[in-house]
Amino acid sequence: MSAMTLIARDELRLMRRNHVAVTAVLLLLLLTVVAVATAWTHQQGIAETRARHQRAANAAFEAQPDRHPHRVVHYGHFIFRPLSPLAAFDPGVDPFTGNTMFLEGHRQNTSNFGDVLQSSLLVRFGQLTPAFVLQAAVPLLLIFLGYGAVARETERGTLRPLLLQGAAAWSIVLGKLAALGLVAGVVGVPAMIGFALIAGQPGASIGPIALIIIAYGAYLALWSVAITLVSTLVRRRRDALLALLAIWAVTVVLLPRVAPDVAGQIYPLANRLQTDVAIARDLRWLGDSHNPDDPHFARFKADVLRRYGVTRVEDLPVNYKGLLAIEGEAITSRLFDRYARESYAAHAAQNRMVLGFGLLSPTIALRQVSMASAGTDFGGHQRFLEQAERYRYDLVQRLNQLQADQVSYADDTAVDAGADRRKRIGADHWQRMPVFTFTPPTPATLVAAGLQGLAIIAGWLVAATLMLTAATRRLGAK
Amino acid sequence: MSYGSHRVLDGLSIAVPAGSITALLGGNGAGKSTTLSLLLGFVRPNDGRVTVCGVDPGVEPDHARGRTAYLPENVALYDHLTAVENASYLLALSGNRPSRAAILDAFAAAGLQERAWDARLSGFSKGMRQKVAIAVAWLREVPVLLLDEPTSGLDPQATADFNALLHAIRVRNTAVLMVTHDLLSAVDVADRIGFLERGRIVEEVAATGTERFDIRALRARFGERARAA
Amino acid sequence: MPLWMHEAQLLLRSRWAAAALALLAILSAAAVAAGMAEIARQRGAIAAIAPAQAEDIAAVRAFVDRSKDGGQAAYYSFHPTWDAPSPLAFAAIGMRDVAPYILRVRALGIEAQIYDGDTFNPELALPGRFDFAFVLVFLAPLFTIALFHDLRSGECEAGRARMLEAMPGAGRLWWRRAMVRFVAITAALTIPFLAGAIWSGVAIGAIILIVVVAALYLLFWIGLAGLVSSRGRGSTANAATLAALWLVLVLIIPTLANVVINRTNPVDEGAQIALAQRENVHRAWEIPREETMRRFYANHRRWSDAPPLTEAFHYKWYLAFHQNGDESVAARVRAYRAGLERRAAAANALGWVLPSVGVQALLTRLAGTDLTAQLAYQDRIRAFHRRLRAFYYDYVFYDRPFGASDFDKAPRYRATG
Repeated sequence: MSAMTLIARDELRLMRRNHVAVTAVLLLLLLTVVAVATAWTHQQGIAETRARHQRAANAAFEAQPDRHPHRVVHYGHFIFRPLSPLAAFDPGVDPFTGNTMFLEGHRQNTSNFGDVLQSSLLVRFGQLTPAFVLQAAVPLLLIFLGYGAVARETERGTLRPLLLQGAAAWSIVLGKLAALGLVAGVVGVPAMIGFALIAGQPGASIGPIALIIIAYGAYLALWSVAITLVSTLVRRRRDALLALLAIWAVTVVLLPRVAPDVAGQIYPLANRLQTDVAIARDLRWLGDSHNPDDPHFARFKADVLRRYGVTRVEDLPVNYKGLLAIEGEAITSRLFDRYARESYAAHAAQNRMVLGFGLLSPTIALRQVSMASAGTDFGGHQRFLEQAERYRYDLVQRLNQLQADQVSYADDTAVDAGADRRKRIGADHWQRMPVFTFTPPTPATLVAAGLQGLAIIAGWLVAATLMLTAATRRLGAK
Repeated sequence: MSYGSHRVLDGLSIAVPAGSITALLGGNGAGKSTTLSLLLGFVRPNDGRVTVCGVDPGVEPDHARGRTAYLPENVALYDHLTAVENASYLLALSGNRPSRAAILDAFAAAGLQERAWDARLSGFSKGMRQKVAIAVAWLREVPVLLLDEPTSGLDPQATADFNALLHAIRVRNTAVLMVTHDLLSAVDVADRIGFLERGRIVEEVAATGTERFDIRALRARFGERARAA
Repeated sequence: MPLWMHEAQLLLRSRWAAAALALLAILSAAAVAAGMAEIARQRGAIAAIAPAQAEDIAAVRAFVDRSKDGGQAAYYSFHPTWDAPSPLAFAAIGMRDVAPYILRVRALGIEAQIYDGDTFNPELALPGRFDFAFVLVFLAPLFTIALFHDLRSGECEAGRARMLEAMPGAGRLWWRRAMVRFVAITAALTIPFLAGAIWSGVAIGAIILIVVVAALYLLFWIGLAGLVSSRGRGSTANAATLAALWLVLVLIIPTLANVVINRTNPVDEGAQIALAQRENVHRAWEIPREETMRRFYANHRRWSDAPPLTEAFHYKWYLAFHQNGDESVAARVRAYRAGLERRAAAANALGWVLPSVGVQALLTRLAGTDLTAQLAYQDRIRAFHRRLRAFYYDYVFYDRPFGASDFDKAPRYRATG
């Protein structure tokens, strides 16, 4: 048996005999099981509720009576964001974004009823999920188990005898590292089994799952190496423990909170009021359908009349009000898209900056990989918002088209007693409208979104390993 | 005196007069540390009486400790403070506020080199630390000095310095009690030596004449006893 | 030099301790600065409402002035409301980063407007804010653990404990040292807060209360450190045990409690309110308009003497069915709100047992940044909305012409309600 194996075995025996360590491992396993169970049932509950609401909303839409198409434009549609299949592992921003959105003509509404606004202050303490356990709690446990690995030998003076007996410094350090790595594997496995159960959901695909497993594996490996490194560098056990606790507090607790604050101050987002006012301003500039003298709509009217070879809108074969609605919606939507793009760009700049902090805190990088691969990062939410906007535009324009084709201009402008009846079109039209279905991102998209973060973790792992190699070389010299 | 069912001191009777140095000599487990703990009021006797200048340290520990200076075997002080700061702090703890000049005088009297006065304690030898502690005891002007293995680990020169210092302290009419397992260190300075064994004084000898103690005879007797135990 | 100054010197001359205290002071100052910057940004956004609003309303005024139709004025005019941050908000941002603090409403159905959010980046909100409350609740205990885990065991391990305890008054030594460390850590933590609070004009009573609470919270951790240390297992074991306790008390129990509270108090009504309100509003197009008006007048006698509807579209009918729609979901709204209040109450109850939660709850309550404050803001929006409705109804129901100057008579939101 090699010296390294002997040392690893000795280290594990020591951990096993340490009651505190054993209790801590058991508690952590319990915590993992609780986290997996609650996250799983919680997400199942959410998914069911949203699906139920979506069915109710679809049924309500289709059950509309005969109506004027423009009524339906304002009746609108509710859509509910479906949960990503891996959200039970890492719900990411899901609790912080509203889960339902009201879609209607020429207005862009916010997504509402997010968990964060419906929860007590406790929600800001964090989310008990398998991802949280792996990101925060497991490294702390590894610190408790591993801080003394080499420092204990240095402090008690047992290191030199070991070296004198012929054990190479690298075999001592590697043995300790192997023992810690093994423990990391043991405590990480239940979370990963939970993850595998979650990943067994329909819709989950192998690419993002593999990326998540690799990223968490690399992260725990990084902690094992870093703990061994500090334990090798420091002469006293207590110094090793305090230094590691400080590193943990800074990288896991402090920096993830500081980074967003900095990003938020450097790249401020326009608030809704400013955006709405700016859109209204641009709209008046581009074309104000309320203004009979508006140059854009005057031109539009002339174009339409010329195209159909008539001189009055009353003589058009289609309902001019419908055409006007289509044009108006196109203009407002272009503006919505432009402002949305600006807002998304500002979000992306903020998130890039936070990821930049990953160079200081691997936990930030891991969170990013985890959320991005699970499809629960802002990118995932943005996909929903973009698809929702596309669906909204498509729905509204179909309805406007119905107004142009199915409602006559004469009826549409009439105000007599029977006019209301004549303006309406058949209820069957609503049932023929497409239903909103969220197109999930391709596995390649999810993987690509997580690669940057993974690269940062890998860089950390390489750097820590190199430093450990250097520290090992100096180990005998002390 | 007993811990649990184990009697540590049994029928120990000893008096340390002012202006004298008494050594308690004994091996491991003879009861040396417990004797000091009793005198410092860390533990109380099951029966019998302990007094320090007429005060029972078990009942009024602060009174007793106010009259006592104690030097542990390894004088550990604050490495990140200088010698003067250490002394000044320890004196403040016991309610003394001497001037810097007084502290420096005491250091000089204790034989601490001048360059060490304002140096941080990290790097001080055991002897130097002991001198700082002795200077503190000196400035406190306490009537009782308790020493735990004071010369173990000191080189011969440092031992000689320390013994000289102890004489100077005795001259101030201080009662000095030292516990040690080292016959030579006891013989060097003590006026009386008590042989402590299994919690009682089995033999007591006093210094006589210029030779003070017959070391050979003592060693022979002490060795016999140790073997018998 | 008095003895406590000796002790302070002893503490501050230790590089570890001095570095820890300096770091805590820097973090506290940074958190106070970050909180103040965020609140200044929010105040700036609130101050920027007026010019933007003036521009927006000027356009509405221009085209409504042609028709003089109060209904159009009601339909197209958005009126801003805002939740001005309290002076103390910088110390505990609470929900202010995720809950809207500016919301524009118009005199249509309030239930379709009041749950709207504002733009925020959820990825930034996810980890929580870096504010004074965070430094106090999360970080200060770690510094307390660092300074207290070896208060006595450190002296034992350094071999000084026996000599120190042989000094007269040794019993007071540890108290005195704990006191000096407690004062040092409290000062490092609260002096930046005091500066920020005085600068922000926080009431003196609230400042004192928070400093006392901060000190009590630290004392809790000091007590815990003392309890753990009294088992006499050495500095290293003490530090490990205390860090584990920190993890459990500050991270695990609150997150677990959040799951339990949300599951035992389900709040499902939000989406239902939205769906039902829309259904009830749009149903008005399918039923006789007189029925809508009868129902409206039954609840609002004040306008029941308005002239009857004619064949043509009239905004009084439109506004009436919007209000009917709101009133039809009132029970659900109450249930929804009660659910939210139950959740907040459960968390506050936990705060009585768990100091970390208690301190956070108290700080956000005093700062007016918790769920209760959010609900109070919604109440103010509702009250303002009622005034808006009454204002427009007086024009629309009696066909009083709504001219350019009438825009200036519209109710203004007052931040205090």
